[in-house]
Amino acid sequence: MAPVVSVEALRKRYRRRDPWAVDGVTFALEPGQAFGLLGPNGSGKTSVVKMIAGLLRPDGGEISLFGAKPGDPAARAQLGFAPEEPDFPKFLRAREVLDYFASLLGLDEDERKRRIPETLAFAGLDQERRQVRQFSKGMKQRLGIAQAILGRPKLLILDEPTADLDPLGRRDVRALIESLKVSGVAVLLNSHLLSEVELVCDTVAILAKGHVLKEGTMAEVVPEGRTLEDVFGELVQASAPPKHDNLPSFITDQENQ
Amino acid sequence: MRGTLAVARYTLVDLSRRRILLVFFIIGALGIAAIGIGLKVFSSTLVSVSFSGSPGTPAPDPAKINRFLDLMFVTDLVGALGLFALLIAFGIGLTAIYHDLESGAAVAIFSKPVSRFAFTAGKVGAAAAAMVVIVGILSVEAALVGLLFGGGLEQTLAIEAVAQVANALILMLIVLALSTWMNNIVAAIVAFIYNTAGGFVVALHNQIAAGNLGDSAILKGIFTVLYWLVPHQLTSDAPRELVRAEVELFAVPGQPGPDVSQAVASVPGPSDLNDILWWAFVVIVFASLVYVAVRRRQV
Repeated sequence: MAPVVSVEALRKRYRRRDPWAVDGVTFALEPGQAFGLLGPNGSGKTSVVKMIAGLLRPDGGEISLFGAKPGDPAARAQLGFAPEEPDFPKFLRAREVLDYFASLLGLDEDERKRRIPETLAFAGLDQERRQVRQFSKGMKQRLGIAQAILGRPKLLILDEPTADLDPLGRRDVRALIESLKVSGVAVLLNSHLLSEVELVCDTVAILAKGHVLKEGTMAEVVPEGRTLEDVFGELVQASAPPKHDNLPSFITDQENQ
Repeated sequence: MRGTLAVARYTLVDLSRRRILLVFFIIGALGIAAIGIGLKVFSSTLVSVSFSGSPGTPAPDPAKINRFLDLMFVTDLVGALGLFALLIAFGIGLTAIYHDLESGAAVAIFSKPVSRFAFTAGKVGAAAAAMVVIVGILSVEAALVGLLFGGGLEQTLAIEAVAQVANALILMLIVLALSTWMNNIVAAIVAFIYNTAGGFVVALHNQIAAGNLGDSAILKGIFTVLYWLVPHQLTSDAPRELVRAEVELFAVPGQPGPDVSQAVASVPGPSDLNDILWWAFVVIVFASLVYVAVRRRQV
């Protein structure tokens, strides 16, 4: 089966003097597969998914999105991307945002009339009449997921999709991922919530400082009797310089208590 | 085309709800009404006072006073329209693309199957349309307020309004292009300085070309080069017509008055085909810069 996305020796840095934000990342994702990209803050996860979505230019390596370059509009038509901390034109309402994006996706009038109300209902924004500038972070995140699924993508990229969601919202996203997997949609999930990744992902890659530390199926990465959190902690700590006393002295100092 | 239209449509919706543009529009509309009504009230008061003036002083001709106020009104109106066109150009230029790029809205938009060219075309088209509509409404209001006076310069005013929109469009494109590279406040300051400097360069070039500032070949050469590096403000024959009308109004029959042609020559004349072609070229250059900036932008 041809991968929906394949990434080969991907590299990226933001300034010449900066260290590589992404350095030699390689993986592939097949239809119906859920792939978890894990890593501490600044490990390069968001840079990787933004390069796949054609938002950042790689400095090295190859990306194939549905057999084309990420900048190809035909390839992006099959992609749904829910960014971390999503935002939208401030003075539009949720329905207008979805109508705007439906137009960009080339959905016809009938399809828009069908999909937009259903997507808004899924996101819990069907009764919302305020403009985006008055939305909470959680509402923007819901709208971000809504616009990502609107085009019925074959690859859905979710970058920290549940960071600002309440427990019910998180449950809805998990159900969405499960449902999409069954229907053959590939899901690329960036998340800090390891328990969530463990529940929904078939394969994972753990990144630190732009490098892949470990990659494989969940069974390969997490041995029997261990949790993903254990493995993640060990790998990330091993790749970082040893830290001594992380707590500020004014917290630990007995005299101040 | 589909992407361009979608971007343009929702940019217009977004712009129409921005308070800064609404505030500029309301101030502009009230300002134009105030100029017209204020001058009308002033003229009525002045005429009635003049007719009951002190004995021995010849009463001024009320028709002349009315005509003078009419000309004053049109002069003020041209200035006011130009000012508000510039404010609106800044208001639109600072927000139309910058907010999408800075807020992160562009991340979701650019992940959709829309090219950066279609996005830029939609944004620039919507911004230009918004400016034409806003300044157009202000111009219609100005024409209606002009009915309070005798008029006669409506045609001139209409062409001047078109010239003001054309000049403001260039400024808006400069702001749009700069705001995709840098902070929008810095972009506004740089655009303002460039636009003002451009105005000075064009004015000095015209004076040098008319021989009013000596005959230095070096100066002429420098300003000829500078002249072709900046946008040329388009203008109708309104400024010259207004000066001509004012000079003629106060000419006393049978007495030598000021030289009309000399007075008119000191005022910038109507733009010719070369100026209009240069304007179109500058529009293409700055619109292309907006596109290059949007294309290069990583979000």
